[in-house]
Amino acid sequence: METILIAFITGLTTGGLSCLAVQGGLLASSLSHQIENSVQSKRPLARGKNNQTSIKPQFAIPILVFLASKLVAYSALGFLLGLLGQMFQLSILTRAILQILIGVFMLGTALRMLNVHPIFRYFVIEPPAFIRKKLRNTAANPNKADLSSPAFLGFLTVLIPCGVTQAMMAVALGSGDPLQGMALMFAFTLGASPVFFAVAFFTTQIGSKMEKHFMRFVAIVILVLAFVTIDNGVTLAGSPVSISRLFKTPNQVQAGLPTLPEANQAESLSPIPTNTSNATNQPEVEAASESSIISINVENYGYSPDVIHAKAGVPITLELITNNIYSCSRAFVIPSLRIERILPETGVETISLPAQEAGKKLQFSCSMGMYTGVIIFDL
Amino acid sequence: MTQKITFTIEGMECPNCSMILEMIEDKLEGVLMVEASYKKALMKIEFDEKLVTITRIKEEVQRLGYRVVD
Repeated sequence: METILIAFITGLTTGGLSCLAVQGGLLASSLSHQIENSVQSKRPLARGKNNQTSIKPQFAIPILVFLASKLVAYSALGFLLGLLGQMFQLSILTRAILQILIGVFMLGTALRMLNVHPIFRYFVIEPPAFIRKKLRNTAANPNKADLSSPAFLGFLTVLIPCGVTQAMMAVALGSGDPLQGMALMFAFTLGASPVFFAVAFFTTQIGSKMEKHFMRFVAIVILVLAFVTIDNGVTLAGSPVSISRLFKTPNQVQAGLPTLPEANQAESLSPIPTNTSNATNQPEVEAASESSIISINVENYGYSPDVIHAKAGVPITLELITNNIYSCSRAFVIPSLRIERILPETGVETISLPAQEAGKKLQFSCSMGMYTGVIIFDL
Repeated sequence: MTQKITFTIEGMECPNCSMILEMIEDKLEGVLMVEASYKKALMKIEFDEKLVTITRIKEEVQRLGYRVVD
């Protein structure tokens, strides 16, 4: 649910204009032959902005048809991508690798948009020449000036996704669930639609300079998201080192990953907050008793406690407690043991862990690698 | 007589630019084929030199907001 909301917000904030820069020309061309003539003859075309034409109110319906068609097409694409991800039954490690690759792709896309080096142009999927020709011919066909033309072209925009859309498509693939993939792409495309519509409608008010600044902003947002995605992938792979962990457990680093007395000291300095919603920002240190049962409260924004000291050499029972939880923290994984559980919204799930050698650290996280924790076997 | 030339293009900033450049095929009489690549920053063009000149093609490229690198 949270991921879908993020997809919608991404579409709303960055997707609309980013996609318009790529697909706007197609939209303008599809509206009518008259507009195309206007684009071609009234003013010189600026790069990627052949949508710079005065769109009259009667074009509202064709724009809506174009966007509705686009919405259907991308939802279907999301379904197929999710299905593809599901068919391959991705393991935790494969998902981690995929997530890192998605992050690298986003990084390349951002650097391409920032024009850092021409090599980053290879981080874009360019439709083959014959498809481009087909699109051009359809858009330019004066006999198709009715609603079927924007509908058809709206559908064909799946062939020319913008950078942000491509990143979202990669996320849909990584979801490994057709419905989730469809929901993601639907939310993203829906989010992008108002901006797309508004800019298409009042496009003359958006100068090329402003658009350039906006594209830089989009690139920086993608850059940040790329680092987050790579970091999540690294976490999901079970790596003890990740950027989020560095920021998350400063007390642990100072304490040199404490032994029991140190942990107690840390505990007294940093009391365990209960029922907090920002557990990820407040590192918790719990020195577990020698009991072989460990309880973890699964919250919407992390796990509490998220640093647990456990007894080495004996099997452990992990109790995962959920109470009206709807975030991805419900998808619980321990990468090194290849354990993966989808927890109930409310309830208790138990997982039996085999005995671990002294000093072993078991990293756990949600399936996206966003929320993390560790069990340290040092008692 | 048909001629084939490959131009290096400056100013392509997104994949859509290749589509915009390829519109030259529909606009200029005598241009038989245009294939542009955003990745390679190239534009392959096939034209009838009796009907259209290289200068005219370059002008059109410039009008579209790009530049042919000589």
